Amino acid sequence: MDRKNHVILPVEGMTCASCVAHVEKALLGLPGISKARVNLATGKVAVEYDAVKVGIPEMVQAVADIGFTVSTEEYSFKITGMSCAACVNKVEKALRTVPGIAGVVVSLAGEGAKVQIYPGVADKSRIRMAVEGLGFGFEERADARSELDREQEAREAEIRKQRRNMWITWPLSIVAMIGTMREMWILDTFIPEWLGSNYILLLLTTPVIVFGGWQFFVKSWRGLKRGVTDMNLLYATGIGASYLIAVINTVWPDAGFGGPQATFYESAAMLTAFIVLGRYLEALTRGRTSEAIRKLISLQAKTARVIRDGREAEVPVDEVQAGDIISVRPGESIPVDGQVSAGYSAVDESMITGESIPVEKKEGDEVIGGTINKTGSFKFTATKVGKETALAQIIKMVEDAQGSKAPIQKIADVVAGHFILGVHLLGLAVFLFWFFFGYAQWFTPDSTFLLSTTTIGSIGVFGFAMLLSLTVLVISCPCAVGLATPSAIMAGSGKGAENGILFKGAEAIESTAKVNVVVFDKTGTLTKGEPSLTDIVAASGFSGDEILRLAASAENNSEHPLGEAIVRGAEERNLEIIPVSAFNAVPGHGIEAEIEGYRVLLGNRRLMQQQGIDFAAHLENVGELESAGKTVMFMGIDGQFAGLIAVADTLKESSVEAVYRLKQMGIRVGMITGDNIRTAEAIARLAGIDQVLAEVLPEDKANEVVKLQKENNRVAMVGDGINDAPALAQADVGIAVGSGTDVAKETGDVILIKGDLRDVVAALEVGRATMRKVKQNLFWAFGYNSLGIPIAAGLIYPWTGWIVSPQLAALFMALSSFSVTMNTLLLKGFKPTIKKQESGSQTPIEPKTA
Amino acid sequence: MNKEKTAAISAVIYTGISLGIAVAFYLAAGLGRYDAIARFGGAAWVFILSMIITMPVVIPRVKSRQQQGENNN
Repeated sequence: MDRKNHVILPVEGMTCASCVAHVEKALLGLPGISKARVNLATGKVAVEYDAVKVGIPEMVQAVADIGFTVSTEEYSFKITGMSCAACVNKVEKALRTVPGIAGVVVSLAGEGAKVQIYPGVADKSRIRMAVEGLGFGFEERADARSELDREQEAREAEIRKQRRNMWITWPLSIVAMIGTMREMWILDTFIPEWLGSNYILLLLTTPVIVFGGWQFFVKSWRGLKRGVTDMNLLYATGIGASYLIAVINTVWPDAGFGGPQATFYESAAMLTAFIVLGRYLEALTRGRTSEAIRKLISLQAKTARVIRDGREAEVPVDEVQAGDIISVRPGESIPVDGQVSAGYSAVDESMITGESIPVEKKEGDEVIGGTINKTGSFKFTATKVGKETALAQIIKMVEDAQGSKAPIQKIADVVAGHFILGVHLLGLAVFLFWFFFGYAQWFTPDSTFLLSTTTIGSIGVFGFAMLLSLTVLVISCPCAVGLATPSAIMAGSGKGAENGILFKGAEAIESTAKVNVVVFDKTGTLTKGEPSLTDIVAASGFSGDEILRLAASAENNSEHPLGEAIVRGAEERNLEIIPVSAFNAVPGHGIEAEIEGYRVLLGNRRLMQQQGIDFAAHLENVGELESAGKTVMFMGIDGQFAGLIAVADTLKESSVEAVYRLKQMGIRVGMITGDNIRTAEAIARLAGIDQVLAEVLPEDKANEVVKLQKENNRVAMVGDGINDAPALAQADVGIAVGSGTDVAKETGDVILIKGDLRDVVAALEVGRATMRKVKQNLFWAFGYNSLGIPIAAGLIYPWTGWIVSPQLAALFMALSSFSVTMNTLLLKGFKPTIKKQESGSQTPIEPKTA
Repeated sequence: MNKEKTAAISAVIYTGISLGIAVAFYLAAGLGRYDAIARFGGAAWVFILSMIITMPVVIPRVKSRQQQGENNN
């Protein structure tokens, strides 16, 4: 029998023949690989292997071990019919067995799976077979919009189905309940005798089971056939057993199952009704947690007004190409990303950046697709279209985050995955205990159901033990456990996106919530990243404006950042810049120029000393400016000292408040920079930062992060997503301050779309709020089970005589899912403190400055 | 892999185990003063729960054994 298998893997990073040899050698070193041939031009390796001895993961690992990557493709599929964490577990397990699958994340709340495959190895038909083989529905996700429509349709269909079931189950169950309770209190005077007849109750309950409960029998049988258990099985066992006993006690009253007084039709009916109610509420609320994506997708414009051949034509947005000129009128949505080529307007970018104030746009400015033009009309050149737009990238990132799993969820999944089996074992144990021991020991006929006046009467040992056993099955349903984490993660990542904060996965949210140290990169993060004019000190006999005007004129053609800062400073003060009649650069010292007949010298102190200009009277000013981290330039006019001009990289407006708020949250704040200690300390002082790591080379920033981590800190590094990539990667959470609309290129676990550092605070707040919800949800979910199971198993019965009725167990179960979903929905009302402040519900703080 | 064969082997195993447990229950109940209904009803309930417990345990094991066997061949 020929065991040889063939696979072609795409390998990234190969540049030369040496790489080819390395890859081939690494693969041939694995047992079972008989041939490995690399095609450098196509970047692929063809492997002949024995599947018994070696698998694709080992090959991928071998390639990765020598520094190359086997690239993967990601596909998104919709999986219907999953109802609990056990289903998620089974689907993931089944998909992992499909050859060529690199990674699988199944989301119960998102009803989907993200599957990473090695192109050419796995195919979609095998994935489909694996999912459908388990009895679940499988659909390949189309583009986001139609997927959204289909998802909405599917949800609406489920809501309609469960609503129809509700209309059948509830009225009949209530009538059955009334009939059963006829003999209580004075109810027999109002309720006709025939309604209490067991045969009438049988007629009332049967449609409830058939129409409302049938779905659970079908689904659980499909699963069982393949060795899969889920919560439908718990429902089916509970409903089926209680109905069967009721029927036996009606048709064969002397069979010994408790007789005609122990039919419990209302149990079977109300149990079904409550489960259907739980399903209905779940269908109703589940979609709401993914509203953020819905909102983002709805921002995409359907058409664009494109100017082609001098004429304006409205075309579908999919047909817009990069380079097209697009016209936008007031109130219209900007269809794609681009650069303003003509006109002026204010644009509401709040939906993308979270910035509530409209941003002015003039020629040369970037506009983002999906934002709304407010006042004027303008034209812009499309630069990014389709999946390249910022909005499309943001949607993708949020979807990825929502589909990913937080570490805390993995524990819940493991628990829930083994739960169903455990519960049935417990159900069996409870039955055996009460049958052989408990009934004889503690049973009394006047025992009542918890929260009810109904007594269970002369039920036999079998009926009693079975009642407790099936109540345990019903009350143990772990559906709330399965929903607890993903629903909160979905809501949290959506809340982040709403505020211009993109979390790259659930793990990023969890890590962000745990951060206790935030380290900011200085240049370009805390500061604006370009020097600005800060101080002018004029010597006696000169005015500040005059020396700035002459200095700016001298530096007008300079490309030096300090010179540019002086020119910008003069322009901001509306000072006239005059052409120079002579110019001379003095290397390493400064410049010399002739302006309006004046001989102007501008440079460092050595230039002054060289030219014999005395500035001793201003040494104190120089010291003060330099100790504040500023660069001081000395100016001489016609051989006389004229004054000092200082420039410095200034703090962003948001930095001081961000640091202040982080400290209020109990976070340790640090700064890391390659600058000298004096400049660094000056900036840190202004920002309110106590811990400064200065003179750190870019490549050593990651090592500084490691040092902080070794002190048992959970470190967030805030920096430029491209330049600070190693430090961002090393930190527990890398927060990249967005430098444009190309969010996909940013390194980091969290991306702040706009450069406002207060969003770091907001990111931490969103992370903490989300994880609070996760923990609350898990508490509710496990709390119900931890409390409910022992009571249902009869733990308090010997002392109280109370047992839990199956319908009360179903109500508890439905409430646990409902409370978890409702608790998650509370996150919708969450606002980061800066947003509260902007909306005026909180007084803004006055940040302290040095 | 022959799916039907796997299903058949699995069914024999889990049904056998469940029947064994149910019979054990019936016999154990016979040692006490339980009426026939309780013994039969109890055995039936034990059989159902045992089936539910053993099916998801037995089927994947048989599947993987079969797969291993085929690979070895």
